[in-house]
Amino acid sequence: MVVKIIQIILYPLMALMIGIFFLGLARKIMARIQWRYGPPLIQPIIDMIKLFNQNSVSHGFMFNFGIIFSLVGSVIVVLFLPFGGICPLSSSGGLLVILYIMLFAPLGVALSGGEGANPNISIGISRKLILALGYEVPFLLAILAVMTHYETISIVEVVKIQQNAGWAIFSLPLFLSGIAYLMILPAILGLRPFDMASAPQEISSGPMAEYSGKFLALMSIEHAFGLFIGIALFVNLFLGGASNALIFFFKMLAVFTALICVNAVYPRFRIEQALKYLWKWPTLLAFTGLVIVSVIGR
Amino acid sequence: MSLQILLIIAFGGAFFTYFLGKFSSRARDFFAVLVSLALLIMVGSLYGGTSYDIFYTGFFNLPLVLKLNTLSWFFAITITIIGTCSIIFSLSYMKGRERTDFYYFMMLLVNAGMLGIVFSGDLFSFYIFWEIMSWSAFLLISYNKGPALAAGMKYIIMSVIGSMAMLIGILSIYANCGTVIISEIASFMPSASSGYILFILALFFIAFGIKNAILPFHTWLPDAHSQAPSPFSAVLSGILIKMGTYGFILIFYSLMGMKFFLDFGSGIFNFHYILCWLGVITIIVPTFIALLQNDAKRLLAWHSIGQIGYIILGIALGTSMGIVGGMFHAFNHAIFKALLFLTVGAVEYRAKGVRDLNSLGGFIKKMPITFFGALVGSLGIIGIPLTNGFVSKWLIYKTLILENHPFLAFAAFIGTWGTLLSFYKFLHNMFLGQLPEKYKDVKKAPVSMQFPIIVLSSIIILFGIFPGIPLKVINTITTSFGFESLNITIWGIVSETGTLNMINIFFAVFIMGIIVWTLFYAGKKSVTVSQEDNYAAGAHIPKEKYHYTVDFYNPLYRIIKPFLKDIISDFYYWLVRVVHKFCDGIRRLYTGDVGDYVLYIIFFLTSLIFIQLRWKPW
Repeated sequence: MVVKIIQIILYPLMALMIGIFFLGLARKIMARIQWRYGPPLIQPIIDMIKLFNQNSVSHGFMFNFGIIFSLVGSVIVVLFLPFGGICPLSSSGGLLVILYIMLFAPLGVALSGGEGANPNISIGISRKLILALGYEVPFLLAILAVMTHYETISIVEVVKIQQNAGWAIFSLPLFLSGIAYLMILPAILGLRPFDMASAPQEISSGPMAEYSGKFLALMSIEHAFGLFIGIALFVNLFLGGASNALIFFFKMLAVFTALICVNAVYPRFRIEQALKYLWKWPTLLAFTGLVIVSVIGR
Repeated sequence: MSLQILLIIAFGGAFFTYFLGKFSSRARDFFAVLVSLALLIMVGSLYGGTSYDIFYTGFFNLPLVLKLNTLSWFFAITITIIGTCSIIFSLSYMKGRERTDFYYFMMLLVNAGMLGIVFSGDLFSFYIFWEIMSWSAFLLISYNKGPALAAGMKYIIMSVIGSMAMLIGILSIYANCGTVIISEIASFMPSASSGYILFILALFFIAFGIKNAILPFHTWLPDAHSQAPSPFSAVLSGILIKMGTYGFILIFYSLMGMKFFLDFGSGIFNFHYILCWLGVITIIVPTFIALLQNDAKRLLAWHSIGQIGYIILGIALGTSMGIVGGMFHAFNHAIFKALLFLTVGAVEYRAKGVRDLNSLGGFIKKMPITFFGALVGSLGIIGIPLTNGFVSKWLIYKTLILENHPFLAFAAFIGTWGTLLSFYKFLHNMFLGQLPEKYKDVKKAPVSMQFPIIVLSSIIILFGIFPGIPLKVINTITTSFGFESLNITIWGIVSETGTLNMINIFFAVFIMGIIVWTLFYAGKKSVTVSQEDNYAAGAHIPKEKYHYTVDFYNPLYRIIKPFLKDIISDFYYWLVRVVHKFCDGIRRLYTGDVGDYVLYIIFFLTSLIFIQLRWKPW
């Protein structure tokens, strides 16, 4: 019991640290690819502390509440995700609950931004939700393939089975689903070429347009958690999870570095282009994967 | 005995309300609320009881039966909760409008009819109450006149077709078994030929399908829901269409029996499997059509069809978890859809009848309680954890995945995303964003509107955290059908294949909420400013619309719109035109000239004589 409480407290903090590290790393890698020196790795932390001490502007109750709501959602999802051997809330509903709590974050930001009453925010949110609908199609197909193949809705079980049977992405029935998931991972994380929701040059960072001070700080915390969740879910479902935290971290790091390299060289899609991409190849692959799983898998 | 008293109060109260209204409108309002509250309390006190009594035998010597069991209690309590809430809501919504006596009379009559349906133990009284409900609903739908009249016509034509199908089914059952008492028919069913069963199923499928608005019988619903007065839309979407669900449960599991129903048909043509796919189509297409709507009530109406898909899916799955999920979703949908219609009603009331999503905005500042209700209702219909909608959807999804129906599960999941998108649009366009200049003086919703909104919102959250309370009742129903009992705790469901525990989630959310909130308030305090101050950086900007609402999901619309034609509705209209043309042709025979009629008679007689001479049939 005591161990569990300590886990519940420390695990999100660790996830936050990893997320922030990724944010810093992303800037560094991007800079090096573009032949710049780049800011120090701890720059995101410096920014956050600075932002917390700055003045900020609010637009009312929902503006404040939405961002808290979305951050709470992200932390809870983290508690459900196994990290190596750690998973404090494993017995409360499994992957289905994760899928649903993952709705907290976009919905919270959307509700908060909505009260900001800035057309740029609304456009950004509209794009974000359309994009989400876009990647949800292959995402759900891939996740359902995993759940159907392993005959469980518990993510801990999925990891446990992979420990014995090998990584899902390299196993025959789930290979296509894994590839499809990898193809949509940038969209899930909002990295280029799928960063149209927060396009800074077109719509002043979209949902974040009205945020200042501590709101921005909370948004970057939220962003850090978002990175952690997106990658950790992929590692758990398709890269076999890990038996200890260190290996898990390195798996995440490898995936993230690859994604950042894509992010550094691609321009931004328009939203229609993104939808067409997401509903074409990844969906086709994931769909075929699910057909294979439901025909051969049993 | 007590059921008879209950129905007498329900019907008598309705009539008495009408006459009371002729003397004093205050007394009438008071009495209407009193009747609905009394019904709520009476139904509540019947919990756990069972009874069976023959109340009348004079109708062709058929015993007409009233029965009480957990299934009927479950639907009755839903009816009375929604009924009471919408009556209370009507108090200010209907104030100052014409024909209010008639309105309250019909509202109470619909409720009474529905109570009659769930308590009737034989098919004839079922049919009678069904007709009372259908016709009073018609009068309420067309209450507003104008386009509402057309919507009402559409509804009643389809409803009559359904009723006729049901009547044929009932008469056929009576001719074959000699009884109309449901429990007695059930013992006859296994010996019937499968062709006959299919015939009966098809007839009742049409009857209940039309009321339940599953594809392809949904076309009456969007018009009827959006044109009816808002408190009645809540009843209509909340429970009236659930009478179809009740009928399905009755036919499938009470009349046919679980084993018989699940084994009906073979392979992929198994009846319940086909019904599952129908449910899934009913989820996806209407949900995405809803995304395109600009009228708030029309959006909700299309979502009613979509959510019915989930209910049908759960019920047709035929596992204990699936049917528990389906029935719980029926209850949940009643609660949150009624709540959403009431919030739209409140906004409509304050915005002087405007419910166009493109011209509202910023109402959160003026009507915070209403916004809160709309938010909770939206979270419920999306199925966010800690709302009741989550638990029922979780049960359905889990069944789908573990029973190896991944494609059905996928469709249901995508339906949830469609719901999320359209309900964000709903909240954003109506409550968030910029408040139009002409609504600067809008006041809060009246207390009699806020009260039902608060009650329904609390039910959503309460049963989201303690799903065990309603699930225990539903579990009793499903075990009485012969399904295995689920291990239900007050927090959720325990099973080997995955446990659901809402209290863990609740505490996690609660504690994390406190931590994040502390973090938020530890930061420097923020200044609340109006929209122009930040957006225009204090500079003067013309007072115009700065609210991105029209075509909110434009890029998406452009891609999905070609696929979302309501082909079925077009088909029905085509059918109407064909019938119209045909009848018009027949009408031309009736020229009104006596000479022509004499000619017809002579022609007819000659042809008879000719036939007799040629073939000698007589």
